[in-house]
Amino acid sequence: MRTPAVVLVLGLALGIGTPVTWALTQPDEATGTTVEQAIDASSPSAMAPAPSPTAAPSPSGAVPPSPPALDLPPVTTRDAAPTVAAPVAAPVRLSLPARGVDAPLDPVGVSPDGQMELPEDVDRVGWYRFGPVPGDDGSAVLAGHVDDREQGLGALAPLRSTEVGDVVVVTGANGAETRWQVVSRELITKQVLPLDTIFGRDGPPRLVLVTCGGPFIPELRSYRDNVVVVAEPLP
Amino acid sequence: MNKTRPIALTAGATGAFALLFAATPALADTHTATVSVLHAIPETPVDVYANGEELISDFMPGTLAGPLTLPGGEYDLTVYPAGADPESAEVAISLDDVEIPAGADATVVAHLTEAGAPELTPFVNDTSAVPAGEGRLTVRHVAAAPAVDVRAGGEVIIDGLVNPNEESVTVPAGDVSADVVVAGTDTVAIGPADLTVAEGANTIVYAWGSADAGYELATQTVQAGASAPSGVPGGSAGLAADEGMPAPLVGLTVAGLAAAAFAGRKYATSRV
Repeated sequence: MRTPAVVLVLGLALGIGTPVTWALTQPDEATGTTVEQAIDASSPSAMAPAPSPTAAPSPSGAVPPSPPALDLPPVTTRDAAPTVAAPVAAPVRLSLPARGVDAPLDPVGVSPDGQMELPEDVDRVGWYRFGPVPGDDGSAVLAGHVDDREQGLGALAPLRSTEVGDVVVVTGANGAETRWQVVSRELITKQVLPLDTIFGRDGPPRLVLVTCGGPFIPELRSYRDNVVVVAEPLP
Repeated sequence: MNKTRPIALTAGATGAFALLFAATPALADTHTATVSVLHAIPETPVDVYANGEELISDFMPGTLAGPLTLPGGEYDLTVYPAGADPESAEVAISLDDVEIPAGADATVVAHLTEAGAPELTPFVNDTSAVPAGEGRLTVRHVAAAPAVDVRAGGEVIIDGLVNPNEESVTVPAGDVSADVVVAGTDTVAIGPADLTVAEGANTIVYAWGSADAGYELATQTVQAGASAPSGVPGGSAGLAADEGMPAPLVGLTVAGLAAAAFAGRKYATSRV
């Protein structure tokens, strides 16, 4: 009687194979270097506070008794009349051809609750306008809703499955495209998101894409994690 | 909102001035200070000397020199009429023993007192961090004029400011239309002028001039510590969540294991 043996083998194959196959097809929590390494590579003091004059006064003993000899630097002077800063040329479009992402960009700032503002429309992605324009020094942050209860999945939903080497294209205000290559993707719990690194304004140009991911917490109507993708400029 | 009273130093005053610039001990490895100089005395080009050496020549009213990177220490500052020989010319203004500690960011302003006498006033520029999306707006009254109110977009943001005091507020970054009115009135003394309050920076506005020469605004922007937003929101529906295995796959797994168990039992009993 060989039927039970066959059923036993097939049953075990099904019972074990199904969850294993499912697990293997899930995207990893992270790929490439960590986000902090990818951004911090050459900017160890991404958001180091500026020298603050509010600390204790310097000990007077440290001051030389006589005025120091001066090696005066050349002095530049400028008209101090009030000026209005020229508007920044905001980027207009983001695409990841390999993941089917192609979304218009909106300049966004900070919400009243202190978080980064995001476009209401989940098909649009926000560019953090207080940080650098993509291509300038520092970390240019593009972020969008991963989904919405009424609108469904957002433009950045495929971010969760990006891989190292994926090409990212950002279109500038003048139509010129900058090309980037993904070096890191990481799922990071929101409470420990390295915000000062992600929003750092110094160091080499970086593109940082952010959306939500990980398990959904229905009571908070929010995801546990952020999906963070870091890309470096392609020559 | 905070009010600070800089130490006003009268022209030609002698003696040691315990100018309490504050330094940051954590930055003791940086031995330099950042110093700017604003010329806010109307109609008088000057030369500025530091410790007897010429620092700025033919310095025009309404212009800002710097920022200069200078070694921390004490400086004797002297101002002469432009082109004058410091050996023989009469000193226009002087200020001795100005302590500029390493790590400080300061602006020295040559200006008129409320009564119209020339004076040098050093100010410490507040470079402490501001919240994300905001900028610090500092207003300094260095004009030969009584108390003023400062308005942005028609709203009073600083009131009763007197020479040579300063006051700072933190406001959302962006362009504002600012004017200066006689304190407690709607009588516009200066402006309105459009200016940009930069995010993560201290935008310093000087009200300067005199009744005879006219009143004007001057501005200076100093980087302050920028802040990151407190987080990135991103979804409300759970459609993209990393869930456990979908129900059909769970069913398949259970069915497989059940079939295997059933068959295994049958196999075992059939051997008995």
